[in-house]
Amino acid sequence: MKGRFNVLYFNIGAVVVGLIISASMLLFMQINPLSVGGEAIRKIFTDHYTTGEIFVKATPLIFTSLAFAFTYKANLYNIGAQGQFYAGSIAAIALSLWLGDVLPTVLVILVVLAGSAAAGAAVGGLIGLAKAKFHANEFLVSMMSTYVVKALMDYLLRTGLQETKAEYLQTDAISKNAYLPNIVSGTRIHLGFVLAIVTAVLIWVLLYKTPLGFRIRAVGYNHNAAELGGIRTGRIFTVAFLIAGGLAGMAGLTEINGVQHMLLQDFNASIGSFGIGIAILANGNPIGCIFASILFGFLNVMGTTMGRLPGLSIPASIIDLIEGIVMICVIMSYFLRGYVQSSMEKKRMKKAGA
Amino acid sequence: MPTPVVEIQHVSKYFAKVVANKDVSMHVDSGEVVALLGENGAGKSTIMKILYGLYTMDEGRILIRGEEAAIKSPAYAMERGIAMIQQHFSLVPTHTATENIILGSVKGHYSIKEYDKKIAKLAESYGFDIPVGRKVGELAVGVQQKIEILKALYINASILIMDEPTAVLTPQEAEVLMQFIRDFTAKGNSVIFITHKLREVMEVADRIVVMRNGVVAGTVLRAETNEHELAKMMIGQDIVPAERSVTLDYETAEKVLEFRHVVLRQKDAPPLIDDVSFAVHRGEIFGIAGVSGNGQDALCDAISGVRQATSGEIVYCGADISGYSIRERIAAGIGYVPVDRYRDGMVMDMTLAENMLLKSSFDKKWFSHGIVRQKALNAYTADKIAEHRVKATGPSDLAKSLSGGNQQKVVLAREVDLGKKLLVLNQPTRGLDMGAVDRIHKVILEEKESKKGVLLVSTELSEIFEICDRIAVMYKGKFMGVYKNGELTTAQIGLLMAGVSEAEEAAQ
Amino acid sequence: MVNLLTRAVMMSTPLFLGALAEVFAERTGMMVCAIEGVFLIGAWGGFIGAYITGSLFVGLLIAMACGMAMAAVYGVITVYMKQHQVVTGTALNILAAGICAFFQRVLFGIPTSPLQITTLPKIAIPLLSKIPFLGPIFFNQNILTYLAYVLIPISIFVLFKTSLGLTLRSTGENPEAVDVAGINVNRVRFLAVLFAGAVSGLAGSFYTVGYLGMFTTSIIGGRGWIAFAICFLGNWNPKGVVLGTLAFGLADAIAIYIQAVSGSTIFPNELIIALPYILTILLTIFRKNFNVPAKLGVPYAKES
Repeated sequence: MKGRFNVLYFNIGAVVVGLIISASMLLFMQINPLSVGGEAIRKIFTDHYTTGEIFVKATPLIFTSLAFAFTYKANLYNIGAQGQFYAGSIAAIALSLWLGDVLPTVLVILVVLAGSAAAGAAVGGLIGLAKAKFHANEFLVSMMSTYVVKALMDYLLRTGLQETKAEYLQTDAISKNAYLPNIVSGTRIHLGFVLAIVTAVLIWVLLYKTPLGFRIRAVGYNHNAAELGGIRTGRIFTVAFLIAGGLAGMAGLTEINGVQHMLLQDFNASIGSFGIGIAILANGNPIGCIFASILFGFLNVMGTTMGRLPGLSIPASIIDLIEGIVMICVIMSYFLRGYVQSSMEKKRMKKAGA
Repeated sequence: MPTPVVEIQHVSKYFAKVVANKDVSMHVDSGEVVALLGENGAGKSTIMKILYGLYTMDEGRILIRGEEAAIKSPAYAMERGIAMIQQHFSLVPTHTATENIILGSVKGHYSIKEYDKKIAKLAESYGFDIPVGRKVGELAVGVQQKIEILKALYINASILIMDEPTAVLTPQEAEVLMQFIRDFTAKGNSVIFITHKLREVMEVADRIVVMRNGVVAGTVLRAETNEHELAKMMIGQDIVPAERSVTLDYETAEKVLEFRHVVLRQKDAPPLIDDVSFAVHRGEIFGIAGVSGNGQDALCDAISGVRQATSGEIVYCGADISGYSIRERIAAGIGYVPVDRYRDGMVMDMTLAENMLLKSSFDKKWFSHGIVRQKALNAYTADKIAEHRVKATGPSDLAKSLSGGNQQKVVLAREVDLGKKLLVLNQPTRGLDMGAVDRIHKVILEEKESKKGVLLVSTELSEIFEICDRIAVMYKGKFMGVYKNGELTTAQIGLLMAGVSEAEEAAQ
Repeated sequence: MVNLLTRAVMMSTPLFLGALAEVFAERTGMMVCAIEGVFLIGAWGGFIGAYITGSLFVGLLIAMACGMAMAAVYGVITVYMKQHQVVTGTALNILAAGICAFFQRVLFGIPTSPLQITTLPKIAIPLLSKIPFLGPIFFNQNILTYLAYVLIPISIFVLFKTSLGLTLRSTGENPEAVDVAGINVNRVRFLAVLFAGAVSGLAGSFYTVGYLGMFTTSIIGGRGWIAFAICFLGNWNPKGVVLGTLAFGLADAIAIYIQAVSGSTIFPNELIIALPYILTILLTIFRKNFNVPAKLGVPYAKES
């Protein structure tokens, strides 16, 4: 248990250091970081709506981080979560626009859930098959797939899915009947957040308690030994990517039906990359992904709140700055922790030997 | 008394979890062959890596030709004439012999043809036959070793450290190496020879330093000691070798495994298995001897299902399993201890319980309603840990936290249970200390007693002679003959291992 | 037609430079997963340098410096701290986007009209540019393209005929062999990453200083990753990289040609934009026989 707390202290320390460094960037704009930072934090913790935004932002991140973490457990790199999310979003908006007024809300949500997961899984499954059958480098294939799906999405936004007004590259809004219900009044937190938590827990159970999860982890740690154990690595690659794609696709449901209620261009453009960072900081652990996603949601809200502070015109790019710097600090803290641990062990050995 | 070429004084080295060397002192004179003897894990490789600059010592000092040396890197060591040839060669498999040898010594633009000639000449001067233009990864292990030695000779090393050099050689090749060592030291150079093989030590060493558990257990002159004494110093006590039980009558015993004209071809290369036929009976330990790399691994792969034979039949308990998947073969009751437990035998980052489950993830008995029965699995693992006397705290230990010998015991425990009729072992005692080797031999003999068929692939002739009932010698994919234990002398087996058939031998 | 092929060669230049940079780094075992961010910071640095000083040359130097700085951070974390290459790259890519956008705002506020610089002029090489058909395509380009031409034979020579090249290649295949030969593995890797950073920074600046004359945060748009892919598809060999780059340049040119001729009625715009990525996917799937450096992506750690 002590070891776990050790890790937590280092991580928290890294986040704090990262925030301080990012905030000090504001000095370049002749803005006092302490007062702005303090102001933002105060707003976040006093205004219910803003506090709620943390969980709204965290929701899709939980899904995309799970999408990376799941395949990471099989020692595969799914860089395509962004594209799998877009695929899920396309399915979500199409189904919502088509069925939004026709079926009762519960059914609409279920259909959209299945559809968005299936769309994401389809993209993921293709990547997995490429890896299984052709030994293609999944890093490159998944990375490129995002750009391809984005192009498809842009095309649809210009043609088939475009709003009836045909003025902007976005779709019509879905009817209120297709909304994911709000669960905390005064905020935008919707059922999707609960779905995300439940999904993360189920993925945890899948990975650590079921035979499939065992096989995925065995392949991830040592595919040679796994093969000798009768496990078919090709099949595992495909299944892992199918599930991962489906997970990212589900974020389509939460963002379309829970937040935006329509599809726009460059919608949630960075949740894929952030998902990667979150997953690795959580070391691929699904429950860790929940907490790390909430942290990133917090960082995101810090950025937007600072940006909204009147009269200062802090640019939105502060968010990228914060996220990037914090990630670097956490990465460095991993190194520091390892170094400190092994020097302490060495000292202990010396004492014992003497 | 002339100054020793190398003097190691009170050196200690600590790693994060273990004391590798404690207060080690020794010296080497010029023209001397010093054998560093000890079991695996005794600390021999570590102290030599410190001398060569791969590791830094935590305490102590080293003097080279009387001057104190702070050896921070191999470059520093090499400048002072020290070269080390490790057990796992430091060669770049995709580069040629020449490219490997000149790495680090050549500067700027170089003409590969010019250096090819230089290296070929150097090799010739030492009586080494090396194809300088071929990719090193394609060459036989014995040739690779010669290239490693040439690397040292190229930089005019006067102190050569060799770590378990005969592990990959036939008895005849080992003899050639011994002769090279004698010639090399006759010129005034020194050799430090790390090994665990008593016989070699008695053959070529002038002085012997015995290490045990990280400390020097004793230093003796070869002339003043014998194998028995050395063995006692190595392990600190006498050991009683395992007893072989009565051999069976093979004509009548049931065949557990049969190879019928099995061939395994590969693209653009000679077949890995070249028309091999043999049978393993119930209650028999069938040994396959031979230098590694002659098809033994492919043969084991063909039995386990990792590779499919190109032609011929593999029959298990009367059924042709040539088309069975790996999973089906596990279910049929074939146990397999692979040669490389890190790569194939265990998942080092998983717990012991998970490793016991590795081959049984398809077996319903470990799961209820899709969830793993953790308690039952832990109990089973704990049982096995106790039964095989594995030094571990419990089923939740990570496999990588165990010592090599204990890891192998866990693999053996699993395979012995899974191998209901047939147990295949590929070099199961490689790299293990005597205690673990002894334990594994005892388990193998128990399996034979319970009437299972055992197939043992080994490069250690002492092991083959000790426990096998029948012995086949494998060379370049073929069986050079199948003999009853007792029919062959070491010299005869050595010739067979080198591919000299009986007829050729008779003609000599 | 000639115009389009000329454009193809021009647009291939940054891809070539980036892919070549990546080859040198990956030959030592380091994947520069921050390449997209390095391209971006090079593009921005080049623009800032040229805008503030008025000299394009200074802009290019600043681009290289920015690229090296980002690569240095990447190198320290992945080579010396031995941390995960994909994560560190992802973090730096995000950070690069943040730095460029934020400091663009800090320096220039929100300009009323986009800031512009004059771009690199095309220099026609005497005699060679007069060769019918090929002349105007290959020998009427800007200086970065000529630099790329020069780098082709130099890189082949260095990589395969010098001891530096032997050391680089050996480091990626078996760093232990290099360590044992007395060479500092970490230093080789770090310097290779720095070199890759400088050249990739230069490649990124092509888009601002050499082509568009403006800076936007989306100017790189994944092309750093295409350069990364070309290294892979070109089998870590400068010759393969040349072929790969030309293939992409050609595909790009053909796509634009089709678009110009048919007026995006046959093929939608978006498909044309997606073409290089689809091409990469197909090539990655169907290319066999990769000679991956054996220890690519694996940090070198000896117990000490």
